[in-house]
Amino acid sequence: MEHREYQELLASHALDALDARDAQALRAHLATCAECRNEFDELSDAAALLAHEAEPLAPSDDVRRRIMRDIRSLPRSADEAPIMPLSQGLSAAWPNVWRLAAVFAFVALLLGIIVLWRRDTVSRRQIAELARQLDQQQSQLQVERHNLAQQAEAVALLNSPDAKRISLAGTPTAQLARATFVYDEKSRNGVLLIEGLPDAPANKAYEVWFIPKGLAPIPGRTFTVNANGRALVSHGMPVAPGSSSVIAITLEPKNGSTAPTGPIYLASPAL
Amino acid sequence: MQAEPSQIADNDLLQAVSRGDESALAALYDRYRLILFGLILRILHDRHEAEDVLQEAFLQVWRRANDFDPARGRAFTWLVTIARSRALDRLRMLGSRSRFIDADEHAGSNEVLDTVGELVRSEAGEIVRRALRELPDEQRRTLLLAYFEGLTQAEIAERLGHPLGTVKTRMRSGLIKLRELLRDRSRDLA
Repeated sequence: MEHREYQELLASHALDALDARDAQALRAHLATCAECRNEFDELSDAAALLAHEAEPLAPSDDVRRRIMRDIRSLPRSADEAPIMPLSQGLSAAWPNVWRLAAVFAFVALLLGIIVLWRRDTVSRRQIAELARQLDQQQSQLQVERHNLAQQAEAVALLNSPDAKRISLAGTPTAQLARATFVYDEKSRNGVLLIEGLPDAPANKAYEVWFIPKGLAPIPGRTFTVNANGRALVSHGMPVAPGSSSVIAITLEPKNGSTAPTGPIYLASPAL
Repeated sequence: MQAEPSQIADNDLLQAVSRGDESALAALYDRYRLILFGLILRILHDRHEAEDVLQEAFLQVWRRANDFDPARGRAFTWLVTIARSRALDRLRMLGSRSRFIDADEHAGSNEVLDTVGELVRSEAGEIVRRALRELPDEQRRTLLLAYFEGLTQAEIAERLGHPLGTVKTRMRSGLIKLRELLRDRSRDLA
């Protein structure tokens, strides 16, 4: 699927109405596409407002009490069942030993039922948690496969005889940084190899910009660098680098911006 | 905490919840119980089940408040998403009995519920209902079937006897239009 096709799925995904296969593919795409992620977050905010279409109604007061009680026992889960207080005057009212034994047996039975019930609730919670983790790992796997495919494409591009190169130099903000943009006009693929960039601060990411002569900058992918200050960015590269006179990299909020707001770290000379 | 709970922003409350602050969870509950319970009940049509799901949802908020990322969207969206998914999970677990209730019959079932619960007509509800009325009927119906009955596009197409492609287009156009209509007013809504 292409970026545009994924874009068309975003609204349905925000309503949770895609079939499992499309949803999984879209999740993998969202992990790598800041533009779609932003759009998806906005559509999710809109979808959530549909909740106002339901009449607001008050639950019984008991629910609040149950929640506040349960959060206290939650981390400790199944270690203890609530103990039911036995009446003080029980032995006086029921002098008969056998009757007393019957009462104890009954209470023990009740406690047993409560313990089993709690254990069942806990197991069900654990199963739900495991299912959620499995789901998470599957989408992680999907993301990694996607990354691997991207890297294979990048290697093919670097080896292509038709590839052209543009160098980007560090600005005074990042004098040690450099980058090379390799692209193939025929296959319209591009890959950006970056080194020497400082680690992006929390909640920030680098963003690639293509600035056609005389026009507003076009946002590309956002990325962060590894521990060695390196990054490889493929996909979301300009389809027609010939029309981009300058490629630049700025520091932006984590989800990327639609127009550059932060300092420029790397820039190419005008083509 | 110095400020009155009612003045603390949702994001700060969720952050406090992630640090284990019980009073912050209580404040979030007090702030959103009406809307969330209304939503869950609309999905499940059963007060007892809905209260159980509301409880589950807040226990999930307690456990997973750490997962909330304010950069990705509003706290309201996060809470609503948890409540709705929990309710739809329960609906699927209970079998599809509620699915036989067609969207058009909701008005009738709500009248019954009104006598049971305290009905609060909120301004936010009015804004959303008004925006929804501006959508073409079929778009509105598609959005509501997906949202309150948890139907996929394919299930909606089958239910309404419409082509899948048409349902996809209606869903997309409907939500995008709704977003535009609510964009300017969304600050007042949550």
